Amino acid sequence: MSECHGRGKTLHIDYSKCIGCETCEAVCGFLYDTPRIAMARTGDGQMIPIYCQHCEHAHCMKVCNRGALMRDRDGAVVLQPMLCRGCETRNCVIACPYAAFFATDRGVAVRKCDLCAGRRAVGLGPACAEMCPCGAIRFADRDELDELETEASREARDRVLAHIRPKK
Amino acid sequence: MSNAMNFAFMREEPAPPNGRRVAIIGAGPSGLAAAGYLGCLGYQVEVYDKLPKPGGLMLFGIPGHRIPADRIQRGVFTLSRKFGVNFHNKTKICCSAPLHEEEGDHFSCDIRGLGELVEEHDAVIICSGAWKSRKLGIPGEQLKGVYSGLEFLFPIRAVKYATSNVSVPPVEGRTVVVVGAGHSAMDVAHSAKALGAKRVVMVYRRTKKEAPAGSYEVDRLIDVGCEWLERRTPLRIVADETGQHVAALEMADGNTGETEVLPADVIVTSIGEIPTPPFQKELGLENVRKGEVRWLHMTSIENVFVAGDVLTGPSKIGKAVYSGLRAARSLTNWLDLKAQHRENEYNYDADVITRPGAPSEQR
Ligand SMILES: Cc1cc2nc3c(=O)[nH]c(=O)nc-3n(C[C@H](O)[C@H](O)[C@H](O)COP(=O)(O)OP(=O)(O)OC[C@H]3O[C@@H](n4cnc5c(N)ncnc54)[C@H](O)[C@@H]3O)c2cc1C
Ligand code: SF4
Ligand code: SF4
Repeated sequence: MSECHGRGKTLHIDYSKCIGCETCEAVCGFLYDTPRIAMARTGDGQMIPIYCQHCEHAHCMKVCNRGALMRDRDGAVVLQPMLCRGCETRNCVIACPYAAFFATDRGVAVRKCDLCAGRRAVGLGPACAEMCPCGAIRFADRDELDELETEASREARDRVLAHIRPKK
Repeated sequence: MSNAMNFAFMREEPAPPNGRRVAIIGAGPSGLAAAGYLGCLGYQVEVYDKLPKPGGLMLFGIPGHRIPADRIQRGVFTLSRKFGVNFHNKTKICCSAPLHEEEGDHFSCDIRGLGELVEEHDAVIICSGAWKSRKLGIPGEQLKGVYSGLEFLFPIRAVKYATSNVSVPPVEGRTVVVVGAGHSAMDVAHSAKALGAKRVVMVYRRTKKEAPAGSYEVDRLIDVGCEWLERRTPLRIVADETGQHVAALEMADGNTGETEVLPADVIVTSIGEIPTPPFQKELGLENVRKGEVRWLHMTSIENVFVAGDVLTGPSKIGKAVYSGLRAARSLTNWLDLKAQHRENEYNYDADVITRPGAPSEQR
């Protein structure tokens, strides 16, 4: 599998800046027909985007027994549809701790964010980060993630995670 | 990565000029997204807006602490500098509609007809939003001190761009009652608090759990000292002794079934907006809404397209952006095929979408 420079890049959403306007999901849906970043409504009524964190130790990669998930040169975890095609286990969907691997009824059975691979190939960044009206989404080096966190962002993130992984 | 809302996100540099001119009416999120898409493709884009600055409700409705104004402005700057988009601010496009009807009209100094624009351009997209406020329909709504959500919020932002014609609603030291529980009602309550209101009371006909803005937002308002009254139906706005100005809101308490009177110096009814397209009928917008058009987003006038809240009714920024992008793409497809006399090859079914944002009660 290919190596990437440093610890690679990822998306980072500061939920304390996010106003739930759905622009990220809309732009993604415009580009790729079915969006790979998806809005959810939390128990207390906040709209929040759910997104792939391109984990350093990605569960989705571990559970895919066809090796259809690979890390590209920028550090993105990308799906190889030709390897994925035909698999119906949806192990990846179940394994993702951020609920960011989506099942679809079109083409291959699953879809996920690839940090806008086609756009990166021509020097552009992920479209959601470009268009977010609030600057809540950053296309960031994994090494700078710590600097992006604030007290407010951590608190908001915990609230979102509590929604994604409710306490039993 | 720039610190801007990059409407021209499709390309780094514009494609070479393709010789086509497009006019966009309205510089809200739908119009700006369409301008960015077409600018990237090499179109000469002319954007008309009646307000002194592009941004639509992102700038003149939603308070600045939620959307940083400079992020919008930098995106607009890139459009004009790098992608050659011309912004014609303070220019209202109309036909026969009377003036001074909607919030923000008094800013426009130039008025142009849609007919002219259609003549001068290869195509036009109408992205004029939904600016007319819905009324409660109860007695006393005409009294002084009663505002709609936009009437209340618009001057607070607009006063920064032109001081002459607008004045911020006087709320300092007073009691402000806000009717509604959508995002704009939350924005009104926050703004009233920030402007020094003595008491801010939120009134909603259902429960906190059902509030369109979410219970989290309501709790945040309560945290900053606003009061929350739920299951209250406004019945009548009571005048003071002069008969001119508001004094109280009379409402039915759904918990007890009793009528109660809430003293108020200012009442803001924030229960949603309705679309105000210039020339609703002429454009056959009803048919576009129902999807009975041959070209996605095209009106009954050839080469005139429509997108955003003016088409769907009040929605969200994301839905408006999506609609603007889809209309821009539909417009390009149309002009490309038309140039080759192949209009009838257009595959409407491939382009149909689950139409974004049917008029909802989101706010
Ligand atoms: C108080 C408030 C809070 C909101 N909060 C949120 C939120 O938190 N999240 C969210 O996603 N959405 C929110 N919304 C909704 C969101 O702002 C709108 O859905 C969105 O801006 C619609 O975009 P648009 O481009 O269709 O129209 P608009 O943003 O309304 O822009 C239309 C533009 O057209 C111009 N125009 C109109 N008529 C003419 C004419 N005849 N000639 C020239 N120019 C004209 C107007 O001046 C305006 O600039 C809120 C709305 C309000 C009012
Ligand atoms: S575009 Fe930005 S503000 Fe809007 S929902 Fe997405 S992350 Fe939140
Ligand atoms: S899909 Fe889920 S598990 Fe896989 S990299 Fe993204 S966030 Fe991590």
